[in-house]
Amino acid sequence: MTAPHEGPQEAPIVPPEPGTIADLFREALPDIEFVASQGPVDVMLTIDRKDVLQVLRTAKDDPQLDLKYLRCLLGVDHEEAGLEVVYQLYSFTHGHGVTLKTRLPQDDPRVASAASVWKGADWLERETAEMFGIVFEGHPNPVPLLLPDDMTDHHPLRKDNPLAQVEEWQGSRLGAAAANVGHVPAGYESIAGEGGEPEGPSGESGG
Amino acid sequence: MVTEQERKLETIDINVNVGPQHPATHGVFRMVLTVSGERVVDVVPHIGYMHRGAEKLSENVDYRQGLIYQDRTEYLAQFNAEMCYCMAVERLAGLEPPERAQYIRIILSELNRITSHYMFIGAFATDTGVYGTAFTYAFREREYIQEIFDALTGDRMMYGYFRPGGVVWDVPADFKERVRWVCGQTRVGIDDIDRLLTTNEIFITRCRDIGVISRPDAIDYGLSGPMLRACGLPFDLRRNDPYSIYDRFEFDIPTGTHGDVYDRYLVRMEEMRQSVRIVEQALEQMPDGPIMPEKAPRRLRLPPGEVYMRTENPRGEYGIYLVSKGGEKPYRLKIRSACLSNLTALKQMIVGHYVADAVVILGSVDIVLGEVDR
Amino acid sequence: MAVEEIDRGDTTTTPHPLTSLEREAERLRPVQVERPHAFYRQVLPGIVQAPADYVLALARKSSLWPMTFGLACCAIEMMSAYMSHHDLDRFGIVPWASPRQSDVMIVAGTVTKKMAPSVKLLYEQMPNPKWVIAMGSCATNGGPYTRYDRVVQGVDKLVPVDVYVPGCPPRPEALIDGLICLQDMIMRERRNIG
Repeated sequence: MTAPHEGPQEAPIVPPEPGTIADLFREALPDIEFVASQGPVDVMLTIDRKDVLQVLRTAKDDPQLDLKYLRCLLGVDHEEAGLEVVYQLYSFTHGHGVTLKTRLPQDDPRVASAASVWKGADWLERETAEMFGIVFEGHPNPVPLLLPDDMTDHHPLRKDNPLAQVEEWQGSRLGAAAANVGHVPAGYESIAGEGGEPEGPSGESGG
Repeated sequence: MVTEQERKLETIDINVNVGPQHPATHGVFRMVLTVSGERVVDVVPHIGYMHRGAEKLSENVDYRQGLIYQDRTEYLAQFNAEMCYCMAVERLAGLEPPERAQYIRIILSELNRITSHYMFIGAFATDTGVYGTAFTYAFREREYIQEIFDALTGDRMMYGYFRPGGVVWDVPADFKERVRWVCGQTRVGIDDIDRLLTTNEIFITRCRDIGVISRPDAIDYGLSGPMLRACGLPFDLRRNDPYSIYDRFEFDIPTGTHGDVYDRYLVRMEEMRQSVRIVEQALEQMPDGPIMPEKAPRRLRLPPGEVYMRTENPRGEYGIYLVSKGGEKPYRLKIRSACLSNLTALKQMIVGHYVADAVVILGSVDIVLGEVDR
Repeated sequence: MAVEEIDRGDTTTTPHPLTSLEREAERLRPVQVERPHAFYRQVLPGIVQAPADYVLALARKSSLWPMTFGLACCAIEMMSAYMSHHDLDRFGIVPWASPRQSDVMIVAGTVTKKMAPSVKLLYEQMPNPKWVIAMGSCATNGGPYTRYDRVVQGVDKLVPVDVYVPGCPPRPEALIDGLICLQDMIMRERRNIG
């Protein structure tokens, strides 16, 4: 059994057996470096961020790969090891899929946009950008997708962004409520007002 | 034909704001239509009004608690979402659910597909103008199946019944009878709604050749599910990329030809009938036995690794990308939402049609805002 | 045949002017009794008199028209409550899309900070008297999503709420119970509402 407070561990890299899609990639792109690993379901290929656009284009256009279906595009925050963008691809004709990953340094999270390759990547990249702060260069419309316009300065899915605290008293008419009860409960004297104005809707205390 | 008089008129394009509170947007969805006369020239969809942070909150709870967020994300096809999550966790943990649990999961997932498609028919028919009739039919039929779920799990909507490894408790003694009865009732219900809508001239006029999307475009946008099958591509994850024990059942994959709204409706109607077939076969083949593996650990601690599991939800491909770095909580849980990818093609489908068709096209995408925004 | 005269002792010497048959008819004739009534009742019979606030409250509670404000999963249970199995129309409750003609706003689902201005705007567009029902735990205090910082922890931070219906989601029977509670509240507090 592992110790209770063990930090995050990385998965061991298991090289894939010959005959998988990793070989097809190596054939189609002989001068790109891949670090191949066999995951539980798919083969995972890690590439450098400068090769991303070339690899994605070839993956889509090459007749042997024919990975025309972009299933998923997401970001992962690995704290000091940087940010990671993951592309999950699938081919209808051949029935094979692959996971492509690329690491970005934490202080310079920029990568080429896949919106020119797949039209569906547009919105997925907008969401990843606003959740992690990754900049996709060449994106036609880099506008936040899910977050409200006035709350786009901090990125929710980064690990250093904490969760909000649960606010104990709903509403704020603590002064009036105290007048009914007769006393202010212990510990709440500092926020007991005169029955003054209500808090705004953005009564946030975390993040 | 533009007459001389019309050519001299100066017109401007107006922006029509549809939503976020609107009876026809199936939730809090906002789209700004730029219309020139009655024709839509541009659509800008705004989403995010239901963004509740299910992915962030899943990182702070352990693997058994994280199941509740899946229910509430896809709140019309809960069992399918739970199944995807449980399969992802099982794949990393190395758990294999026993046979009986697999059959129970398949039966419940397919029944949930039927309820979800009923909801689609009710809401979509309301969009086309059948104000209320099909909606009440659909909800009446849905309630029969929901009563079975209620008796089984204790909740009408947020079941929380699957666990990584199996299901939480065994089905009651009358389960097989009730499900058999409900299969017969569903067949009657589908035929009822069929008679009401499918050959109805007004319905066909409102739906034929509206919102057409071609097959290469559909693949490029990442559409999946009935939207992709209506374009003519017979791709169903249960058949082409099978998971769980779907390879033991015989069922057809309905496809459309035109890629328009009417084909999507027909595909979903036929899918309900195929789901009934699957449920009946599963009921016959279901063995007795345990419902959780014997050595299932009480606290799930997963080894480090990453996996992407996908299921065929009623709306398309629902996927979960799970990153685990050891420990009891996921490091990153990404939900691949079918409705979000289906919505990316909205602009291409709506531009060029009338304003009234915009609502019908949006209804045919069958969005669930909890899944779009997570 | 003659009726026998009963000997009553001291009877009057003169016989009664009416025959017994006529006396019987006299006995059975309906009597007009003078009832003490207000003047208007003599002029307009068939009127019921009740306090004005009672009648207003009765009218308001018997035809509550909710504005359809289904945000998330609770909206599905709200729709179930309107539909065939748990009919709400029999209580006079008809879902109405426009805020200008509705009485009660059933906030069903999570309110996010992006949606909050719309909630406030729609509440202000409703004419008085208006009530708010917070349906589900997300509308009550944020629910399972309360710790995300883009979620408003309860709709009572934006609008005053009259009835809280707990549950995730509450059963349609629970929503009906909440609406009946609201009806009782309207009747109980009829003096306070203008």
